[in-house]
Amino acid sequence: MKTIEEINQRIKDGDAVVVTAAEMTQIVKENGADKAAEDIDVVTTGTFGAMCSSGAFLNFGHTDPPIKMTKTYLNGVEAYSGLAAVDTYIGATQPSRIPEIGIDYGGAHVIEDLIRGKDIELVASSYGTDCYPLTDLKTHVNIDNLNEAIMLNPRNCYQNYAAAINTTDETIYTYMGTLLPNMGNVSFSSAGGLSPLLNDPYFQTIGMGTKIFLCGAEGYVIGEGTQHNTEVQRKNGVPVNGAGTLMLKGDMKQMDPDYVRGATMPKYGSTLYVGLGIPIPVLNSDIAQRTAISDEDIVCQIMDYGTPKRSKPIVMESNYKQLRSGSVEINGVEIETSPLSSYKKALEIALELKSWINNGDFLLSNPVKLLKSEGSSPRPLEIRRQTVLVNEIKSKPLITTSPNDDIGDVAKRMVLNSINHLPVVDADQKLLGIVTSWDIANAVAKGKTLLKDVMTKRVVIAREDEPVDVIARRIDKHEISGLPIISKNNRVMGMITAEDISRLMCARNLKDGV
Amino acid sequence: MKAWLKFSPKMVNQAVITDLIKNYDVSFNILRADINPKGGKMLIEISGSEAEKGIEYIEKAGIDLSPVNRVVKKDTDLCIDCGACVSLCPVKAISVEKDWTVDVNDKECVGCKLCTYSCPTKAIKVVE
Repeated sequence: MKTIEEINQRIKDGDAVVVTAAEMTQIVKENGADKAAEDIDVVTTGTFGAMCSSGAFLNFGHTDPPIKMTKTYLNGVEAYSGLAAVDTYIGATQPSRIPEIGIDYGGAHVIEDLIRGKDIELVASSYGTDCYPLTDLKTHVNIDNLNEAIMLNPRNCYQNYAAAINTTDETIYTYMGTLLPNMGNVSFSSAGGLSPLLNDPYFQTIGMGTKIFLCGAEGYVIGEGTQHNTEVQRKNGVPVNGAGTLMLKGDMKQMDPDYVRGATMPKYGSTLYVGLGIPIPVLNSDIAQRTAISDEDIVCQIMDYGTPKRSKPIVMESNYKQLRSGSVEINGVEIETSPLSSYKKALEIALELKSWINNGDFLLSNPVKLLKSEGSSPRPLEIRRQTVLVNEIKSKPLITTSPNDDIGDVAKRMVLNSINHLPVVDADQKLLGIVTSWDIANAVAKGKTLLKDVMTKRVVIAREDEPVDVIARRIDKHEISGLPIISKNNRVMGMITAEDISRLMCARNLKDGV
Repeated sequence: MKAWLKFSPKMVNQAVITDLIKNYDVSFNILRADINPKGGKMLIEISGSEAEKGIEYIEKAGIDLSPVNRVVKKDTDLCIDCGACVSLCPVKAISVEKDWTVDVNDKECVGCKLCTYSCPTKAIKVVE
């Protein structure tokens, strides 16, 4: 048994023994946890991953005449200004207001540029008051002339996180990166055995007031992060999926651009790569044993991100040794894996923190309150307005056609029923293709007579039990105007069109009084 | 060597590539192809003892051949060595080294640009 005060005395005396979490795994394996608890004082951890729930409070100082900023833009990215007069909060995922730039430069990039010492354009406006008469301003700010630039991240450093795969037949773009169709790749995020909260899985040492390495500077844990979850299933003592989280604070004026980066997940949004390391005091052999966790002992669930729902199906359980090897085997097929967080940087951070402590530059702090280790689980948000499913929408009666039908007949049928889309089916009502009024015009122009020569064979479909909002997104994504509705046994049940969805929205708005 | 072969509409029906493989000691790999009755292009890799003669034959037969001088480059200042690109590469031209550095191999690259597009820090560039 040791205390943090005793460890700090050894750090001051230059006698503390500090190892990284990767080194600790080996030490405990060789010497056992009891011996390791005697020999080792501090285990350093590290991670360098995309943490979307990050941002910064900035204080600009008062102008003359003064302004009470209500709308604030930093390099074109909006920051929240509903805080007194010259305070603002810039969030990492806020995109640029300039449509051509959008997610390519967001709040995360502003934060990186500030830390790099670059000048940032500030545009602000206000409604004007007797004490704050100025209504508009445009100027430049940088890290040196801001009064405060405080990084405050509501949810960082997830204790484990699912890996992502895509079982659909098209590429999808997610916060877990680009996912290739038909289980073409797997992406994972956690630093595994090096990750801070996996080395203190029951929060025996980490809490409000724990001093940490945050983006190259000293920072602090200021409590549980949002969505902190203590009720996730555990294996080998660690959660098998996203669980505990941290809220963090640090002074951007002290940060090092090597350990923080604005980034963009394509077609998803901007995000901030946060470099973070937490020292874990080895107070007893139980803590020593926990910090010895290896990549192999940490389970990671591979989930299907092709399902745009909150609960995603688990495709397979893997572990970080396997994931980091470059490929996993699913149903006898080797599938390549990609980390989204930088293991190289994570190691660098654990080593840098180790050297700070070894040099006597960094003492450990006693947290004033440990993180909650039980009774915390986030609730989902229920939508009061019921989600409408495809089979609940009122659509026109189903009319179909066969591949050998004559174009002229098909055209007549479309006009007669005033429809623009006709599913082409076989004798069992199974979908073969789709034909639109545009296809018919095209056929006439080219002198084609049979439907099968002009129909589209690769058809985007809707399933009966899918929410209409998902279909609206699909219509937009594929730039189409209607989709055939397909039942569980693959029969064509009807058509859902952009007009059906517009009608539904109008009815909703009428009901809500919009 | 890697090269783009450009087929004019009248070349599409001729079995030049078949003849090339039959008559010369070459190994021939199609990396990308986009050919329809109006012509098109194909990215190939050609090697073997008679590769040079083979190339001469292709050019004589009327196919426009332009060697690829493409360079795929990783900007080490921008790259954070995360590895998001690794599993996206269709030809395994991107790998993670022993020290966890992400390495991009110019020789293997076929220029699909999936990595360029998906890199969170826009650190990979393909220049033709």
